[in-house]
Formats: sequence, C-alpha cells, structure tokens
Amino acid sequence: MSLRHPLLIGFVSAVYIFLLLPTVIVVLTSINPAEYLSFPPTGFSLRWYSAFLAARQFTDAFWFSTWLGLAAAFFAALLGTPAAIFYVRYLRAGREQFRFAVLSPILLPEVLTAIALLFFFNQVFGGTRTVLPLLIGHVVITLPFVFLAVTSALYNIPPSVEEAARTLGATPSRSFFRITLPLIRSGVITGALLAFIMSFDNVNISLLLKPVGTSTLPIQLFDYLRYDFDPTSAAASTISVALTMTLLIVIDRIYGLRAVRF
Amino acid sequence: MTKKPPSRVPLRHWLFALPALLLVSVFIAVPYFTIAVMSVRTPSNTQIYAPGFTLQNYIRIVGDHLYLGLLADTLLYAAITAAICLVLAYPTALHLARTKSHLRGFLYAAVLSPLLTGVVIRCFGWIVLLATQGLVNDALRAVGVGPIPFLYRPTGVIIALVHVFLPFMILPIMNAVEAIDPRLEEAARTLGASQVTVFRRVILPLSMPGVQSGVILVFVLAASAYVIPMLIGGGRVQTMVTVIVQQLLGGFLWPFGAALALVLSLAAILVLIGFTLLTRRAMRRLA
Repeated sequence: MSLRHPLLIGFVSAVYIFLLLPTVIVVLTSINPAEYLSFPPTGFSLRWYSAFLAARQFTDAFWFSTWLGLAAAFFAALLGTPAAIFYVRYLRAGREQFRFAVLSPILLPEVLTAIALLFFFNQVFGGTRTVLPLLIGHVVITLPFVFLAVTSALYNIPPSVEEAARTLGATPSRSFFRITLPLIRSGVITGALLAFIMSFDNVNISLLLKPVGTSTLPIQLFDYLRYDFDPTSAAASTISVALTMTLLIVIDRIYGLRAVRF
Repeated sequence: MTKKPPSRVPLRHWLFALPALLLVSVFIAVPYFTIAVMSVRTPSNTQIYAPGFTLQNYIRIVGDHLYLGLLADTLLYAAITAAICLVLAYPTALHLARTKSHLRGFLYAAVLSPLLTGVVIRCFGWIVLLATQGLVNDALRAVGVGPIPFLYRPTGVIIALVHVFLPFMILPIMNAVEAIDPRLEEAARTLGASQVTVFRRVILPLSMPGVQSGVILVFVLAASAYVIPMLIGGGRVQTMVTVIVQQLLGGFLWPFGAALALVLSLAAILVLIGFTLLTRRAMRRLA
C-alpha cells in the first residue's frame, strides 16, 4: 500500500476534515449575524462579540478561568519541574512506579478523580466553599503535563554539560542554576502553557469542585448550551479557541510542537 | 510516602520529588480510597450518609435492571467508539508517521489541536452540525436521505465521542509506526515480499502495541465521558457517568453514586483485561 494511493489520500483527508469541522463551524457561527445557529453564514458581523463583552456571566467566567489557569500552571510548574529533574537525573530503582504515580492524574478517568476529590474535600476540608479545592484539583490534573514536557527537555541535554561545569569547579547548586535550569527553561514554559490550556478547558473537575456562585468559562458554556443557546456562546467559544491556538503557536516557536508527546 | 528511598539516592535528592509525591498521595491516592469507603456507607435522606456500613448500595445496583442496562449501554457505546476510532485512526496514523509532505507539521497540529480545544466547544460544533436543520442533514436531504435525528440519540453521542477521542487513537499508533525501523521493511522487500505482505507481516504486528494502548485509552475515555452525553444526548441519552453525577450533584445520594462509580470501574477493567488477553493471542499469531 503506497502512501500516495488516491484511496488512502482521500480517506485521510476525510478524517482531517472530520477532526477540524466542528471547530470551524463554531467560528463561522460566531461571525454570522443571524439570530439562530444557522449555516451557511448569511453575512459578517461582530454583534455576538459585543454581546459577549456585555454579558457579565461570560466575561466574569472568562477572567476567573484565566486566573485559575495561571495559578494552576504556576503551581504545576513549581512542583512538576523538580519531580522531572529527580526522575531523569537521580532516580534509579522504582522508576516505572514513580512515573506512574506522577502521571496518574491523566491515566485515571478524570470524572472519577473529580468525584474522589469531592468526597475527600467534603470530609477533610469541610466542603468546597472556597476556591482552594478547585485550585488544588486543577494543579493535580495539570501536573503531568509539566512533568512530561520537562522530562523530554532534560533528555535533550547531555549530562556531560553539567559534568563539565562540575569539573570546572562549579558547586552542585551553581551548576543547577547556571547550566541545567536555563537549558530546560523552554521545557518548563511549554509544560506551564499546556497546563494552562488544560486548566482553561477543564469541565469535569470544575463542575464538581467549584464553589457555589463562581463559574469557569467552560462551565458557563456548558450550562448555557444545556438549556438554550444563541450565538453569544459561539463568540465566547471562538475567543477561547483563539487563545488556545495562540498558545499552541507560542509552544511551537519556543519548543516545537513535535516534542509534545502524550 | 511510606516508600523507602533506595540507599543509592541521597535523601536530599528526594526533596526534589517530595512536593509532587505529596500532592499525588494526598489528592489522588487518599481521595480514591474515600470513594471505596463512601460506597459502603449507609445512605440517608437527611444527610450525606448515616452512621454504619452496609453493602446495600451494591445489592441495589446488581438487583436492578435499570442500572445493569445502563452499565451495558455505557460499555457498548465505549466499545463502538473505540472500534470506529480504530478504523479511522489506523490509516491516518500510518500516513502521518511515514509522510514526507511539507504539510506534515500542519497535519500533526491538526491531530493535536482538537485535544487542546475544550470539549464543550467541540460539542457545540456538533450540535450545530447535527441539528435537524444542520449542515449534515442538509447534505443528506440533498442526496435524498430524509433528515436523521442525530441529537438526543445514541448515534449523535457516538459521533461526538469518536471525534473528541480520535487523537488518542492516532497518536499512540503513529508513535508505534514511527518506532519501526524502516530497514526492516526494506529488508522484507529485498527478500521478495510484496507490499501487502510487508504490511501484514511487518508493519501490522509491530504497530499492535500502539493499537492496544489506543483502544484502551479511547475505551476508558468514552466510558467515563460526561460532557458529551449530557450535551449531545440532551438528558435523553443516559450513561453510568451522567447518572452518577446526577446522584452526586442533584440527589446528594453520595454512597449510592460511589457504588455506581466503582461498579463501572470494575466492569471497564474486566473488559480491558479480556481485550488484552485476546489481542495478546492475536499478536502472537500475527508475529
């Protein structure tokens, strides 16, 4: 079977269209002036974007999601980076078990983790009345993305670079801060950006752990789409997609998308 | 944290891993344990649970056709989703792993980007596409097939499940194909094997580990999906997970919800063990 066989090319093209179509439709719906979710578009208008900016429930949720994502990415990077260094440079025995433990939040079904955390916080923290349980949930599920990105960055620098620094008289901490950390910086940033995206898009953890009265953007969209919808939610979705795509391009520039492995 | 560090790793190096290990132990291991405890608590109408332990939550599930049927539906949707994903993903992964096209970076981004677009947004796209007046039904009408009601039906839910989880099938298969040494294929061709034989005897068996992890990933993700059945199914397609979340958030029947979650997990694990044993035998026969 040749890679250029027209049947294969046709099949693969259809799969790519299938993958991209729904997102394209959402974007087109958001710039369509019509009142109803209709296709094809009858013109071009930004009225749903001004409706989005005027809708407090959407803008509040957008900013809340942004802050939550930034905080989750910060703490995930803070905890995930040393864990990755430990795994690549120091750990000898029990490597598989350690990797499984750190990656477990993405290996276990997310809904189950959300349920487990709901029970846990209820028994230990006295419920989910503050933002803290929600933030902890987001840090837990985004930690693996930092770990994966930093691990792959570390594998790309030869240990001999650090050895050279040590031979030339650098203390372990000096060689870490002057050699290792600058070399894995792009990996840490990539991991943190992925963590932000994953937090920003999350539904399951947010739905079960959010305190009453606050809402993230995906939860707001979810509630909106369940009952009635107008294209304001398409504008909100498009803004969220645009944010994700921008971050993806940034990741591609600083680190290369090919290095992102799941 | 009871794990004793091996003597060769100095204690101060464990400080690097300590925060992450603490996070995972306290906020993954302990909470999963609380699901198990919650599932044997006595249900109560006035509070989250009453004192004492009981097996009545499990007995209620096993004795009720409603919940067993729901479990069967959930596993069936997940299995159909994994099967369709495999059919769509295999040729795509093979092409992506081996193409030298200048579009390759773009194609990889096209596979990766849906993973990073929120699931709610992708469901939204399908709601617009699959509506009675939507693009898909317009196209079907044009070729003379009457409007098919996709929304609020398992068909629509499965279409969206396939779409959302397809990258999880493409990526592991692509990784497995990329790991195959091209010289193996060349050697087989030099020794006179036809293209079909090379595929059947070299590429297919060596890509099976990727297929296996792809199927397991998609099956687990589809069986535990919440947003997709809620939005596309509109409350009229129920799965175990939609019922569990309803018990937890709407009814506050936490012990029963916990028991349902464990029954679903156990059933999914049993299916996956069966699948692994079957594919292992098939892999041995292929090789």
